[in-house]
Amino acid sequence: MSSSANTIVVGKKGPRIYSREAVLLGCMLLLVLFVLFTAAASRMYHKKIHVLADDWFDEGEASFRVGDVKSALTDYRNALVYSPDNAKFQFHLAQALAAAGRGDEGRSYLLNLLSESPGSGEVNLALARIAAHKALTNDALRYYHGAIYGVWENNPIDMRWQVRRELAEYLLDHGLQQQAVPEIIALADSTPANDTEQLRIVGNLLLKAKLWTRALDVFRTLLIVNASDEDALLGAATSAFNLGKYNAALDYFDKLPEKNRNSPRVAEMYKTTQQINEMNPFLPDLSREAKARRAATAVSVATTRLQQCATQVGQSLTATPSQTQLQKAFAESKEFTPDESWRNITKHLETVDEVMGHAFEMENAAAAACGEPEGADRALWLLSRSQGVPAQ
Amino acid sequence: MTEPAPVTSPGNIPPVTNESANSTSQSGFRTMWEVWTNRVFTMREDRFFLFLAVLIGILSGLAVVCFRIAIEWTQIELLGSSLSPTFPRVILAPTLAGFAVAALVIHAFPRARGSGVNQTKSAVYVSNGYIPFNTVVGKFITCALAIGSGQSLGPEDPSLQMGAGIASLIGRRLRLSQEKVRLIAPVGAAAGLAAAFNAPISAVLFVLEEVIGTWSAGVLGAIVLAAISSVVTMRAFLGPESMFRVPLFRVAKPADLLAYVALGVVGGLASLVFLKWLAYARPRMQSLPRWTQHFQPAAAGLLIGIIGIRLPQVMGAGYPIIDQAMHGQFTWKLLLVLAALKILATGISFLSGTPGGMFAPSLFIGAMLGGAVGAIEQHFFPALPGTVGTFALVGMGTFFAGFLRVPITSVFMVIEVSGNYTAILPVMISSLIAYGISRSYVKVPLFDLLARQDGLVLPSVEEQREQMILTVEDAMRVDAALVLERTDNIAEALKRLEGKEGLLPFLRVRPGEWNFIEHSELHRLAADTSQSHTVEETNSKGPLPFVFRDMSLEEALHWAGDWPALPVLSRADLSKLEGLVTLDDILKAFRKVPVR
Repeated sequence: MSSSANTIVVGKKGPRIYSREAVLLGCMLLLVLFVLFTAAASRMYHKKIHVLADDWFDEGEASFRVGDVKSALTDYRNALVYSPDNAKFQFHLAQALAAAGRGDEGRSYLLNLLSESPGSGEVNLALARIAAHKALTNDALRYYHGAIYGVWENNPIDMRWQVRRELAEYLLDHGLQQQAVPEIIALADSTPANDTEQLRIVGNLLLKAKLWTRALDVFRTLLIVNASDEDALLGAATSAFNLGKYNAALDYFDKLPEKNRNSPRVAEMYKTTQQINEMNPFLPDLSREAKARRAATAVSVATTRLQQCATQVGQSLTATPSQTQLQKAFAESKEFTPDESWRNITKHLETVDEVMGHAFEMENAAAAACGEPEGADRALWLLSRSQGVPAQ
Repeated sequence: MTEPAPVTSPGNIPPVTNESANSTSQSGFRTMWEVWTNRVFTMREDRFFLFLAVLIGILSGLAVVCFRIAIEWTQIELLGSSLSPTFPRVILAPTLAGFAVAALVIHAFPRARGSGVNQTKSAVYVSNGYIPFNTVVGKFITCALAIGSGQSLGPEDPSLQMGAGIASLIGRRLRLSQEKVRLIAPVGAAAGLAAAFNAPISAVLFVLEEVIGTWSAGVLGAIVLAAISSVVTMRAFLGPESMFRVPLFRVAKPADLLAYVALGVVGGLASLVFLKWLAYARPRMQSLPRWTQHFQPAAAGLLIGIIGIRLPQVMGAGYPIIDQAMHGQFTWKLLLVLAALKILATGISFLSGTPGGMFAPSLFIGAMLGGAVGAIEQHFFPALPGTVGTFALVGMGTFFAGFLRVPITSVFMVIEVSGNYTAILPVMISSLIAYGISRSYVKVPLFDLLARQDGLVLPSVEEQREQMILTVEDAMRVDAALVLERTDNIAEALKRLEGKEGLLPFLRVRPGEWNFIEHSELHRLAADTSQSHTVEETNSKGPLPFVFRDMSLEEALHWAGDWPALPVLSRADLSKLEGLVTLDDILKAFRKVPVR
């Protein structure tokens, strides 16, 4: 085909050509005008929908603040109609859905947000809470960790600390002690020494996790700042008690105001601590006679407990040869009678350890056969633990 | 002062050289304009067509932006800015707007009626691409009013028609050839649809699948350019975001895809119900007295308003509701109710003659059905991958494929509107199932059906696509040729032909050059016993045009009438004859194919 055939056939007369040029010029002018018109319309439109979106969002916030979650949901949804990609709106809607017990519905928005910003601390935390609410531990752990290592726009260090605390509490509440321990230790390590509030929280978490030594350290730090800090005194007393540091525990309990010792758990601990300290022959500054008397009392208490336990389980303590732990422990303790023994012990104070060893053995044997003891027996039994006697 | 150059015809203007360009650069705007227009008008027609495609794309994009803004604005003004309009508005807005729409359609814009797709198609095939600009204006106003007031219709099909109308106007005003004016309407249609959907690939595929039905390279380039320019224009004003936001998911095992089979079946059946209903009810609605047309849109609006009192989600195009469904905001029961009521509401709106599109409602119905199927499946099989949102997304494509019968478009549309590629396998599976079910029970696709109800017999792209294409292989005979060399002896050649009357002799002159020898010619030379003759001495006919066995039979038909037979050669070796084909063979092959 020739090149002339490939060109537009425009005719031979002028006007026809001009008309085509004019059309093209008209199109260009129209295009410019149309662009200007559309730009103006679009600008007005965007302004209007932004206003609407913000208005609905503000209404949603107001409703949410006063606890009207249902209205808040409607308002947030209306806001999203005018600004469907607004991450803030989506996030707040998801939170409102979660608050309304419709976490599954909120989850979808959050997953969408997460796909856009996988490192968002806020989104990960919200997802973690939904997963935690549904007891989906693996998901909860994943999202909590995502939040801990994620990006936070405001106050990131504090937010990460709070998230880890929430995770630790979740794990403890769900009996996942083993997984909670590293989180709590990490939390303790990231807690500034001068932040008493955070230290208090960490101390309590350490108590819950039975990390007594670390807990005692934390509460001691708090007591350095404020020696009459009641929470810290209670925490320190509990830690010291569980560590077998009954002397120190008693000291903390004594400093605790009366009202703080009223709860049954604390009262029992306090009483036990007192008993232990009254029965403990190993305390410094005791007279020879006092030590001997305490040792003899311990043997007496333990023997009585042993006999009661043997009756309870239907065993004869005098059977020969001794077969059970109860019988063996009783046989070994027969050498001591209360009256003779304390005098004997006073004369031979070096035998206190041996005497107490027999008492501990009897308490342990009784505890193994009949369960944990109470009262003086419990005090003696706990004392045995603090002296390093292994439980049977 | 330089005199302005006389205005001359582009044909008379010498080619623009650097020299002339330099000289004209100093002669003011008018001269620059002339140089520019000369360049434009003297460029090859196909390039000029591409330039026009871009222009049409931008104009269509702008029109669609304004159209979407108009719909939103109307909706805010008539129904309020809340997703749940108040009681008086929900009834009054669609009803009163219905009266206005009816008046406009009857008295001012009669061609604005309908969705716009088959009107565009009929413009291409019946009116040589002519779409009056009045239709564009009418479509814009009536659709904005109808959709904005809550009629259950969408803006995509009208956008397609508006794009086609703009293109048609430009084509006519520029006095393009009739062929180009006919082709330019689909270019504008693609631009309009691409901007409305924010989905250029789907728009191109839809126009090729549904409007033109051909992959002609010439028009494809223009359509793609127009679609891209319109989408770019639209995004410049309304933002680049995908229509829907669906969380990513992963299909873990091939067996997981089975979950989408059920969705395909449900989508197919639902599309069947909708299609059957429209096919049944439309002629009956059209047969009502003419005066009822004044009231039909208002009555439809009233009915939709009544539905909207309890479930306002079914009103309008419903994109925010689809988004909510994708985020699992509805229970499966509500999703099913919404799907059913949307079918009802859309049918009512469409049958009432209210202008508006079927794309958005079909996406809505598909999303609700998908979400419901997903929620039910996940209730019984919690380990299934994906979310309700994923099923809603796949459901959109599924229903779309079943209802509009455009399976390829539906797959790409799902990807484009969500920006999510992971759904491709599920959507392919379920779309094909839905398409298969729909096609088995409704033979004619929706838009063709509507056109036929209007008395137009437009070519069905689906039928064209499924028409058997005959190749040379279907007609050729393998053992009917005798290959002779130039040096072969005539007597020997005749001996080889002995007793084989049907055998046709071909002379292999050289690879790719074959001649035909008549039997009589061989006998003529054989009769001369004075000396020994070779085949070379015959008056053979040739060189023959040759064909290959995979060529279309229509192509072979071009030459078959001029020659006794055509050699079928091997593509790998032009000296190897694989068979022959004659005009009779070709006609016989054509006769064997069943005629529609």
